[in-house]
Amino acid sequence: MIGVSGASRPDFEGTNHTKFTPVPIFAIRRPGTVDQFRSPRDNASIAIVDFGDFRAGPVGKFVTSRKASRYPELSGLADVNAAFELGGFVEYFPVDWFRVRNETRQGLGGHHGIVSDFSADFIVPVFGGLTVSAGPRFTLETAKAVSPYFSIDTVHAMATGLPVFDAKGGAHSVGVGAQLSYRINPKWEVHSYVEYDRLLGDAAKSPIVTVRGSTNQTTFGVGASYSFDVKVQ
Amino acid sequence: MRRSGRCASFVAVVLVAANVAGCATFATSESKLQAVKTVGIISAVGDRVTVAKGGLTGLDNGSRSFPIEPWGLDDLIVQQATAALGGRFQVQPVTYSRSAFATIKDSVFTPANLVRGDPFKQLVRTEVSPQGLDAYIVITKAQAAYGGGHRKVEGVGFITYQTVTESYSQIYALYEIRMIDGKTFDVIDKKAAQPLGNAGNVSLAGPSRPVDGNFPISSGDGNDEGLHRAIVDLITRSLPTTLGDMHLAAVR
Repeated sequence: MIGVSGASRPDFEGTNHTKFTPVPIFAIRRPGTVDQFRSPRDNASIAIVDFGDFRAGPVGKFVTSRKASRYPELSGLADVNAAFELGGFVEYFPVDWFRVRNETRQGLGGHHGIVSDFSADFIVPVFGGLTVSAGPRFTLETAKAVSPYFSIDTVHAMATGLPVFDAKGGAHSVGVGAQLSYRINPKWEVHSYVEYDRLLGDAAKSPIVTVRGSTNQTTFGVGASYSFDVKVQ
Repeated sequence: MRRSGRCASFVAVVLVAANVAGCATFATSESKLQAVKTVGIISAVGDRVTVAKGGLTGLDNGSRSFPIEPWGLDDLIVQQATAALGGRFQVQPVTYSRSAFATIKDSVFTPANLVRGDPFKQLVRTEVSPQGLDAYIVITKAQAAYGGGHRKVEGVGFITYQTVTESYSQIYALYEIRMIDGKTFDVIDKKAAQPLGNAGNVSLAGPSRPVDGNFPISSGDGNDEGLHRAIVDLITRSLPTTLGDMHLAAVR
């Protein structure tokens, strides 16, 4: 499957500025296997265990670097390198119209903490190929995942004029997401979505957010995808 | 702008690579087909019919299945395929363990499926007699997604799909065809039967049709003559087309 989507999302976590970025859609599955419900919140994953209603496997996420020189509100703070987050996911459909999913990932590079995303989606077929899905989201992060982005040490406090702040881990964000998808035919699908998160805990208390940013983080997206067969022998 | 340019280049490369791979595979399959004179046909599609609910099902997520061997669907498929292939190949009768082919399932541990390869190759080697034909046409159940969740349907069945605004009832006959080399047991070609023109409001990636007055469904089980006739109609209309798409028979 290939496609493209565009999303208007926060430049970095905690900011009140958004930017529009194109995102390629690319997925491979074996002929004869089925495409499953996917939330825009889901990161790249492969099901190693697949019982149909229960799936589990590895998951990965790329977190872009945060360059202070690019954003006036980060002026005086240190850069944060790009991070890879690698871990596992589990998801379960107790009934056709409801899915719960957890991704737990270990950061490498820009941060070395653990991030655990919980989500639930009610999947409601409206008519024909039109499906609406929506549900709550919740994220836990350890101090090592939060601190590089939200702590301010003495040196940077002097450089920015912001107070010193030592960000700890815990509840990181809570939110809600909704998606509208329309399957035109077995090959073509279009979708749009919105994801809202409110930062919690020390991420929300950080002066980077309270003085120069926002606890409200919203992403809008639209996209289209096309599925086709490629034979590999 | 530069990002969208890169994105377009990436999509173009993928499409070109897919196209080249497709052409190369087609050429290989065609050259292997030239050497095939004698074929045997194996069908293991129609042992059970599944009746299921999908979409907004409440808390009832279950499905029921009924034996339909008296319908003789596999005999019908062999008969239809023999007629379609007879112009090009010499079709020879074969005996095989239908249940062995019908009960093959993917492992829940997905890497195991990649490691073991196509399980039907081994079955053709061990469960089919006579051996030594140039190729074997193996027709087995296929799966398809239904609705926006995780629902999979397989083989022959009848599903009622509930949405917010209405309820759809759809019958399906999902199958895939492999052509397996009778000497090396490599898969020469493989294709799933494609949707027909009258797939209805909710598309399945295979032959299906909405239930209507032409084929009224009553009990929806193995005793339902309307369901039997509707499934036969799906198979007889889709099988020659699928064989034609594989260049095994003239497309009607």
